[in-house]
Amino acid sequence: MRNAGASWFTIIPAAVAVAPAPLQATVYMSVAQAQQAMFPGAKFADRSITFTDAQRKMIARASGTRDFARTQHIWDARNGGGRAGWFILDRVIGKHEYITYAVALTPEGVVKRVEILEYRETYGGEVRSPAWRQQFVGKHFGSQLKLGSDIKNISGATLSSRHITDGIRRLLATYELLLKNG
Amino acid sequence: MKRVVTLGVSLAGLVATPAQADEQYFGYTYSSEVLPKGETEAELWVTDRRGKDEGHFDAQDYRLELEHGFTDRLTVAGYANFAGNHIRGLDDGNVDRDFAFRGLSAEFKYNVLSPYKDGFGLTLYAEPGWSRIHGGGERGTEYELEFKAIVQKNFLDDRLIWAANLTFEPEWEREVEIEDSGEREVEWEKELKLELSSGLSYRVAPGWFLGGEARYASVYPDWTNGLHRETYAVFAGPAVHYGGKNWWATLSYQPQLFGGPSPNGSRALDEFEKRELRLKLGYNF
Repeated sequence: MRNAGASWFTIIPAAVAVAPAPLQATVYMSVAQAQQAMFPGAKFADRSITFTDAQRKMIARASGTRDFARTQHIWDARNGGGRAGWFILDRVIGKHEYITYAVALTPEGVVKRVEILEYRETYGGEVRSPAWRQQFVGKHFGSQLKLGSDIKNISGATLSSRHITDGIRRLLATYELLLKNG
Repeated sequence: MKRVVTLGVSLAGLVATPAQADEQYFGYTYSSEVLPKGETEAELWVTDRRGKDEGHFDAQDYRLELEHGFTDRLTVAGYANFAGNHIRGLDDGNVDRDFAFRGLSAEFKYNVLSPYKDGFGLTLYAEPGWSRIHGGGERGTEYELEFKAIVQKNFLDDRLIWAANLTFEPEWEREVEIEDSGEREVEWEKELKLELSSGLSYRVAPGWFLGGEARYASVYPDWTNGLHRETYAVFAGPAVHYGGKNWWATLSYQPQLFGGPSPNGSRALDEFEKRELRLKLGYNF
């Protein structure tokens, strides 16, 4: 007599057998490397902020983004002549994993440079290209920062492009509200 | 002796779905994403359907698919289908088939709106196909053309994904009876299949989505002479999705909750089965 036929218990082990292994982190640049690339020769004083609920609400209102970490990693970049600018480390959600990036601001809060430290998505590696990152340079709080019009969308990585754009707009709001007079 | 050859011609009509990197969060409900231009993806689907009112019924549907993004909005795919069927103690006779070639299909998806850029996703879908084995396990040639409308909306900074599909599939089935004398009798049967499905999935950890989906499926025979529903079923169950850099996988379990007509309970088990389990695997080249 024949058995009852294929069981879905034959499907699940097959799925497990071919299931994807955990991703390996793709780190393009360490924090220290990014700091030296953005502010060569500078010294960095940790000025990280753990937001109060009121601060989070203010930043959310000013930037239009509500999903961000409670602690923002910020360094005050100093050189012989005083403040060289601000180095801010941030992460936003990609399609699958977090995207880690850093923004260098001038002492006046203008974007000086953007670096992508970790990016692990299937598509959209172009976010690391100098041309795409260059679009943010010169932006400040109040600048238009919208994907598709002010910042070029990257095919196949619209979510990543939009979240990085939203993230930088949020960091500029953070500067305006909490660092500008600090 | 009579030999019955069934030729089914399906014409479906409908529209709507958004797109942007063809990764499916659900087993049955399509999301609106399509592949970027120049990118290629292979997919393997395995669906297990089982359970009728009496006897034994289990069926495995296998789909091996290759997709390519011809533009950032248009993705075209071709796939080969295979089937396994084990049927005993039902009216239509026994079937004992572990694995057999079932047919070929194609898929055209055109993304109209992106859920990430336009706030709302919309994609149009068409799927012509040919098969030599029916879903119920019996042999018979069938041609199909299915149209689908797919919508998607993301919430909570894209952590929560909602998608819905409307499938409109009229069918014309041609039955050819060959008498012992060699004389052929041809009959056409018209049928309309309507399906509405919807899924909700939440990103619970990087790469991992957990959610559920529900489907309403219905069949209307001789539909050009008035819509009279012959049978329907409602399925609902959980779906889990994992997406990595090159791989993604989705597993969905769909028990039939209720349906009609249901002479021996609350489920429609002539056209549909008691439960389905679907696994999808995707690999991006």
